[in-house]
Amino acid sequence: MSRAILHRAAAVLAILVTTALMAGCERPEIHRDRFIAFGTIVELNIYTADRELARTAAEAVRADLDYMHGAWHAWEPGPMGRTNQLLATGMEFSANPSVLPLIIEAKRLSEATEGLFNPALGELFALWGFQSDDPQGPPPDEAEIQAILEQQPAMDDVWIDGIRMRSHNTAVRLDLGAYAKGYGLHQAMEHLKDLGVENAILNAGGDLRAIGRPGNRPWRIGVRAPDGQGVLAAIDTKGDEAIFTSGDYERYFMHEGERYHHILDPRTGHPARGTRSVTVIHDHAAEADVASTALFIAGTDDWPRIAARLGIEKVMLIDDAGVVHMTPAMEKRVRFETKPKDRIITPLPDGQDAASVAPPA
Amino acid sequence: MITRADALVILLACGLVASTYAWLWSPGAPASQVRVISGNEEVARLPLNEARQLEISGPAGITVVEIADGAARCAASPGSQGICQSAGWLRRAGDMAVSLPNRVIIEVLGDESEFDSMNY
Repeated sequence: MSRAILHRAAAVLAILVTTALMAGCERPEIHRDRFIAFGTIVELNIYTADRELARTAAEAVRADLDYMHGAWHAWEPGPMGRTNQLLATGMEFSANPSVLPLIIEAKRLSEATEGLFNPALGELFALWGFQSDDPQGPPPDEAEIQAILEQQPAMDDVWIDGIRMRSHNTAVRLDLGAYAKGYGLHQAMEHLKDLGVENAILNAGGDLRAIGRPGNRPWRIGVRAPDGQGVLAAIDTKGDEAIFTSGDYERYFMHEGERYHHILDPRTGHPARGTRSVTVIHDHAAEADVASTALFIAGTDDWPRIAARLGIEKVMLIDDAGVVHMTPAMEKRVRFETKPKDRIITPLPDGQDAASVAPPA
Repeated sequence: MITRADALVILLACGLVASTYAWLWSPGAPASQVRVISGNEEVARLPLNEARQLEISGPAGITVVEIADGAARCAASPGSQGICQSAGWLRRAGDMAVSLPNRVIIEVLGDESEFDSMNY
């Protein structure tokens, strides 16, 4: 066999081996997983070439969220349920470590929202039936609503010293539903980062935290229109961000032609009126969760003041006439897919007494 | 000096690389499937071009999934608000209907959708 033929054979072999090696390489792709956890639908997108990492991470997130849901559920047996029993005694007790950090943060955020976020009003929430996955109505009697409001349960009533806790008001019943999901998403994403995930979206019931990017483009998020008809706007994420929306379409029941949704105004005891939805972008999911609820209740007049107190710069509120109210920072981030009826850009007031302090670790 | 044989080898090698690239790196097939998840398990993955109906048992009762005309929908489900049914026909990749009381997810799979995730 001549030397030339040997060279050619070697060249062909080298090409074949290289091709086979290239075929064996996995390119990064988005691995999507959907499951039910935390009482809602959870979607996890991970951009990675490591299929095993994506699988392991999805299992870890599912386990994390199941654990947190069990620990923090106000209406099922567990640490939060037990905490509520003990608060109702008015006696001092040692708080369960799985719920203590949440309650401390909830106190801070309740104050920052001037009480619009009031998780001490769990009894009111239950009275309306919104602790159920399938609220059916009808609305409760006004006298029952007023009986709860007259007792003025508030986070200020919860005294905490180290791990010791008690309530000065036995009407306090904690339901951290407007906060726990954000806190849980934050913690679960931190776990994903510890596992080595660098690019991901974790979405629970339409609220999400995103990190990194899928390749050389940002994560693309669609914000659903409040009337449920298609996509209102698109947002490209930047780095590590949470996007949360509170809307009157999420959990509700109809009674005599009127919609009764789950975002209750602590001042009236009734569903907050005048707002259809509030979307916020923020760097901390738990604060974003609280802010979207509190700004929904604050309504068109007061949302800028409350947003400034919370340190939330990117806000979009849609009122019941379909008018979009936004901060200048939010306006720069949204691309409308459906032209809004009208648009009002409102800067946040200066010199607010920012009650927001360092975000939780 | 490149001979004809060399040129043939290079041509064949290039062809091999190109065909491997096309085989491994081309985008996925167009939207064509519906996936049904009950609890934490995928219980069905069916083509959208074959009309049929299936019943999924869950903790709250039976969720009926209907497939017709290249789309799928939640035809019936135990939730009192009809939220699962109100999602309507699912046609675009990423569309889904969910019955939380019955722990059923119905989602349409296919090409890359316009958005990576939906906020609502």
